[in-house]
Amino acid sequence: MASREKELSALPQTSDAPRGQLSELAGRLIYPFLHGEPPKPQTPTGFYTDTTVCIGCKACEVACKQWNQLPSDGFNWSGNSYDNTNELSATTWRHVKFIEQFSHEAPGTPASEGTSSNEQALNRWLMMSDHCKHCLAAPCHQACPTGAIIQNEFENVYIQADICNGCSCCVAACPFGVITRSDMGGHSHKCTLCYDRQRDGLEPACAKACPTQSIHFGPVEELREQARKRVEELHQRGVPQAYLYGDAPTETYSEMHSFYLLVDRPSVYGLPDAPFNPWLHMAGDYVRSIAGGLAAIAVLLLVVFLLKP
Amino acid sequence: MPGLGASFGRGAATNYQQDMANSDCILFMGSNMAEAQPVGFRWPMKAKEKGATLIHVDPRFTRMSAVCDLYVGIRSGSDIAFLGGLVNYVLTNDRWFHEYVMAYTNASTIIEEGFQDTEDLAGLFSGFDQKHESYDSREGHWGYEEPGNGGQEKQDASRNEQAKSAKDPHGRHGHARDGSGDPFVSPYKDMTIAQRDPTLQHPHCVMQILRRHFARYTPEVVSQVCGCKPEEFVRVAELLCSNSGRERTTCIAYALGWTQHTTGVQIIRTAGILQLLLGNMGRPGGGIMALRGHSTIQGATDISTLYDSLPGYLPQPAAHDPANEDLSSYIEYGEMPTGYWANFSKFIVSLLKAWYGDAATPENDFGFSWLPRVDGDYSQLAYFDRMAKGGVKGYFLAGQNPAGGGPNANVHRAGLRNLEWLVVLDWFETESAVFWKDDPNGPPSSEIGTEVFFIPAAAAQEKEGSLTNTQRLIQWHRKAIDPSGDCRSDAWFFYNLGKRLKQLYAGSTDPKDQALLNLTWDYDYDEQPRLPDGTLSRIEGEPDLEKVLMEINGHRLVETDPRTGLPRLLSSYSELKDDGTTACGCWVYSGVFPEPGRNRADERKITDNPVQPEWGFAWPNNVRVLYNRASADPDGRPWSERKKLVWWDAEKRRWVGPDKPDFELEKPPDYQPPPGATGMAAIAGTQPFITKADGLGWLYSPSTKDGPLPTHYEPVESPLGNLLYPKQSTSPMVRFFDGPLNQIAHQPTAEYPVVATTFRLTEHYLSGPMSRFNSWLNELQPAMFAELSYELAAERGIVHGGWMTIQTPRGRIEARAMVTRRLRPFVVEGRVVHQIGLPFHWAFAGESVGSNANDLTALLADPNVSMHESKAFTCQVQAGRLEGQAPQPTVPTAHWPTLDPIPDTPASAQPEGRIGHGK
Amino acid sequence: MHENSRPQQAFTEPPLPETGTEGYENMPVTKVPGWHGIIAWDALLNGMATGLFLAAAVSELAAPAVFMHVAKIAYPVALVLLLVDLGLLVLDLGDPLRFHHMLRVFKPGSPMSVGTWSLTIFSLPLTAAAGLSLLALLGFDFEWARILAVVAGLLPGFGSAAYKGVLLSTNAQPGWKDARWLGGYLTNSALLMGCAELLVLSALMGQPQATAILRTAFIVLLVLNVIPMGLLFANLQPTHAQLYTREQQWRAGALIAVGTLIPLGLMLFNGGLLFILVAVIFLLAESWFIRFLYVKIPHTSPLEVRSGE
Repeated sequence: MASREKELSALPQTSDAPRGQLSELAGRLIYPFLHGEPPKPQTPTGFYTDTTVCIGCKACEVACKQWNQLPSDGFNWSGNSYDNTNELSATTWRHVKFIEQFSHEAPGTPASEGTSSNEQALNRWLMMSDHCKHCLAAPCHQACPTGAIIQNEFENVYIQADICNGCSCCVAACPFGVITRSDMGGHSHKCTLCYDRQRDGLEPACAKACPTQSIHFGPVEELREQARKRVEELHQRGVPQAYLYGDAPTETYSEMHSFYLLVDRPSVYGLPDAPFNPWLHMAGDYVRSIAGGLAAIAVLLLVVFLLKP
Repeated sequence: MPGLGASFGRGAATNYQQDMANSDCILFMGSNMAEAQPVGFRWPMKAKEKGATLIHVDPRFTRMSAVCDLYVGIRSGSDIAFLGGLVNYVLTNDRWFHEYVMAYTNASTIIEEGFQDTEDLAGLFSGFDQKHESYDSREGHWGYEEPGNGGQEKQDASRNEQAKSAKDPHGRHGHARDGSGDPFVSPYKDMTIAQRDPTLQHPHCVMQILRRHFARYTPEVVSQVCGCKPEEFVRVAELLCSNSGRERTTCIAYALGWTQHTTGVQIIRTAGILQLLLGNMGRPGGGIMALRGHSTIQGATDISTLYDSLPGYLPQPAAHDPANEDLSSYIEYGEMPTGYWANFSKFIVSLLKAWYGDAATPENDFGFSWLPRVDGDYSQLAYFDRMAKGGVKGYFLAGQNPAGGGPNANVHRAGLRNLEWLVVLDWFETESAVFWKDDPNGPPSSEIGTEVFFIPAAAAQEKEGSLTNTQRLIQWHRKAIDPSGDCRSDAWFFYNLGKRLKQLYAGSTDPKDQALLNLTWDYDYDEQPRLPDGTLSRIEGEPDLEKVLMEINGHRLVETDPRTGLPRLLSSYSELKDDGTTACGCWVYSGVFPEPGRNRADERKITDNPVQPEWGFAWPNNVRVLYNRASADPDGRPWSERKKLVWWDAEKRRWVGPDKPDFELEKPPDYQPPPGATGMAAIAGTQPFITKADGLGWLYSPSTKDGPLPTHYEPVESPLGNLLYPKQSTSPMVRFFDGPLNQIAHQPTAEYPVVATTFRLTEHYLSGPMSRFNSWLNELQPAMFAELSYELAAERGIVHGGWMTIQTPRGRIEARAMVTRRLRPFVVEGRVVHQIGLPFHWAFAGESVGSNANDLTALLADPNVSMHESKAFTCQVQAGRLEGQAPQPTVPTAHWPTLDPIPDTPASAQPEGRIGHGK
Repeated sequence: MHENSRPQQAFTEPPLPETGTEGYENMPVTKVPGWHGIIAWDALLNGMATGLFLAAAVSELAAPAVFMHVAKIAYPVALVLLLVDLGLLVLDLGDPLRFHHMLRVFKPGSPMSVGTWSLTIFSLPLTAAAGLSLLALLGFDFEWARILAVVAGLLPGFGSAAYKGVLLSTNAQPGWKDARWLGGYLTNSALLMGCAELLVLSALMGQPQATAILRTAFIVLLVLNVIPMGLLFANLQPTHAQLYTREQQWRAGALIAVGTLIPLGLMLFNGGLLFILVAVIFLLAESWFIRFLYVKIPHTSPLEVRSGE
């Protein structure tokens, strides 16, 4: 990987050729309708985030902002433990969460391998690096009317920033609150899983920067295997509460290409306990909607036929 | 790292960070590695994944405690009590590694009969001179009991020196006398002939003295002094013992949480004693990791930016000192008859040849007279104290920020205000560059006479050079791009400054100018250097630092290398001569540049050797684990298959193993020195600590100024007396710098009842000179805050997220209150003691500004290395804010990179979109 | 919008003995789409436009003799309403200049896409119908073409009415994701409003026969509409309980009841022009209020969170 980076650093950076005003306008009108052939599928990739080894250093946040050139969101001391990032947004694609769980009596043994169990008094500080879940069946993807949100050749959910027109359907659709619409430019943005780096054979910036390998990147199948092994390991070491979140589909939600190893309820980490894909309702909603309309029309017709001379 | 030097011989971390992955148990104390050294922390995490136990002992539950298996909270400043308790536990429960201790330590050595312990003298060792408040080791009979009186004069010489410097309040304090190969450290030179009692029964043998000294450090006493539960302490002790021995090793890691105490050196000594008793030294996964607070601090001591030592830990000659009049007396006095320091003359002569080149001849003592002499204490604290009192004219600051980061920054700013001129080399206008206009506590600019010259400096990526990290690993970094505008590397600045000075003095015949004129100073590039992309560098006059590195590595002046036509490079310091035929800028680094074009510091080869010897170059001789002879038993066999590193190969008749042996390769384990042997010949085949005159690890070490054994003293500012030695509350040899700006709360008072410690956040760097000018970092930790417990907050009516003020005799600051259960009050000697934590990253310059924790800390110096005590002091806390104007940012926030929309991914990087995609 | 989810209360909150820092359990997981009151108006106008067209079309086709005259006015009015609605839709985009990106793909899975296409297609026959109606009024009568346009407009018109509810209920927003009957209600109320508007027009144009029939139809539809409305509020009850106090809910309920009962009463009492106008205004006000209440849900933070502020 390192050598690959050396090679690439020598290459010139790709960017769009500058265009004149007229062609710019023409382009604005026409190019959205021109589709190139989508690249051929690659092995699906994703993230596996092992929160039990996260040290909350936030290197992933900085690496993400640096690589993707995202602006800082201003200096607000939240007082919520060490979390001054507060949330994922169009300008924050990585967010390290800090959860302080201390019983009244003084900090003793933190809950980690060999020590804790749910019964005993909790004295632990959970940390978790949150980001886009890259759902296999992504509500944001389904909601997007422009086709800006696609599943790219790595089966990552990707927003084509030059297509998005900021309708916000994806924002409403995401059950994890990952996407927002940027106040600057008015388009939706979120983690691209460093699509540009992947195309060049590099791992995403955050995974590269993570010092304790809490963030694993790779073919999602391998990651799942690795993660399940780790969970068993933890169970043997006396962390029975360790489990994977999002590695497998549920009745109400698809598997996610970036999944987590957690040691407490999802809601403790600010994740929905049972994520639900809104699209499971759509057909029914259409039926009810149409029914409501037809009923009214039927009534109208009836009245008209009955009363017309 | 004097504590380490005094115990083992070299003042450096004994193992390497990657080796922590081989540990079965790691004790982190006085360290917050996960937050302060997160990248290196991947190795402890690897060990943990392999099943190792991580223990964190600290006043605060930190991000590191969160990933450790066991956290024990102890009060700041009670470390020696805790560690002493561990030593006592190991001894009383007979858990020490007998074979190891007997063979490799001075446990059996017999100490002079006259020696009296702190247990006998209520907190003082024998030989304390009340008048000068210092120890006279000779009066105190600290030395080894000897048959006969061999080398008496030498002893006297050294004794006098020892006594003199110890007495002199502005004596030569500092890092070179930390025993890291410094010959002066021991009052007794010829130690191979010391008396021993293999039965360890002699009342004056080290083992017995040790037992008596620590006997009172029981779990109960520990818990009373430290404020932890006895069972917590015992759990730690058990984990350490059960993870040490033939099959398993334990590592101890510390950082500035140990060093920044008036007893810092002795805390580290206690850890050394513990590791020697448990037999963890010189073994894989063992040792003591000294984690540094700043990149290449190790390099700074090696190559000696310190005022009182020359490169390679040679002592800086003192002024008006008969022993330093000429080279011969300097050598006679510095040379040790036995151990590696027998080569002393080779080191100094080669250094002089490297510095003064052809001008250095046997006739003129190789220019020894040109070496600057030390006439006082130039350690930072003493120096700034003098500066604040108006004794200094001008000052250069390169990449340092005393106005923000100095202990008791008030004194440091007062010092800068007293200068005539100040040169600041830095990336940004730090506190030290704008103190004259933006200091909210300072006088108006009109009253400040200092003329400040700000020199924009290049960033690490914009210059080449080497960094020596905590594990003595020298790593070269190449230049990626030219610095922008007028920014220049520090090397460029000082190289060209030197050139101009030489021009100014050209032709002078004044003897005092000869040192400068004869200095070798030609490091120009042979041809204009190129950047990685092949283009020529824009910068003129940049020195070729590889030439500097070659000078440091050293040459054989008499042989020329056919490849270059220049003198042949040294392959190791074993080639050094004292007749002027070799030149070497720093003997410990010798071998880093063994042949033309081979800069070993620049090597990054990953091999299947787990030690990775071809990644960078570690001094000495690329040894990664110091004293690794101890990884084998006295007969040269590995202690265990699991923990083998270096062993004696009977066929090959040499020491072999994945690591480079830190021992003479051909010296068999059964070698016994003949009577009267000198130099390395006097070191037996079973003595791993080759830079110690007796080749042994020192459980008992007379080389530290404040006593041969560690003793628990309270911090100078403490809410309590000393439970163990009521008559002697604090260390007897602490040095104070009295002055209105530096008042101390000497006695426990109700005025300042709360214990405070400073700490570091991952998101910021030191006093913030680099991080508080970067909005990507500032948004992660945007404001100065203080961590305190619920109990204290409730007591003072402080509200989580609200404001609070913290006050010491030195100053008063404000901070946001982080009320958290991660901190808790300690029950010490039956009463509740509150503790708060203060990040020391904020001050008044930059994008993110706030109160400065170092406006509260005190200017105090420990006797051995003049280190301050910012990790334990007392304060008072209240709800509310400071009156008056809060500091405002001195630079506008750069919402990095800009406020423009987030750039669209270029079409070329779009999976769909425009025609021509993917072509 | 970022501010919403920031734990501002951290600064004023007294230290609780249990937890030092909020953690994430009380924080909203999802992000609110940047939609504003505009959407409430959009939902109203969409219903009025499509409803008016459908009502007019259905009744004209069923009884040309009676409704032809009023229909000829209704279509242009519907067109105007629709254009205003489209304007609002575009304005609510993050990047209005990229509105046309909606048309680069057709995604049946995305209600917004379905809606956009329905509206676009609908606008053509509606324009035709409206134009031809106006020509007819000016004396250039192409009856067959006009009827053709009206018939062609039926399906897309119905689609345009039916998609809105599905769009606003197929997402992850609190409350919205449970609003199974929103579609049913909106489509139904669209025709109710349409019928009401048509009633007003016929009354204004002095068409006693049409007026009489429509008045009856209006009354029946008004009653019928109570069913989906009730079901909708049953869906929303749990969410409302979190957002509003009991009396707030009662007040809202009362307003809605008034909005239904007063028109009903008036219509049953008297068919005069003034009564019709008043009744229809009440109805429209009620319809807007319900849509406003609905759109407001995700923008309102729950009671317990607000109590901290």
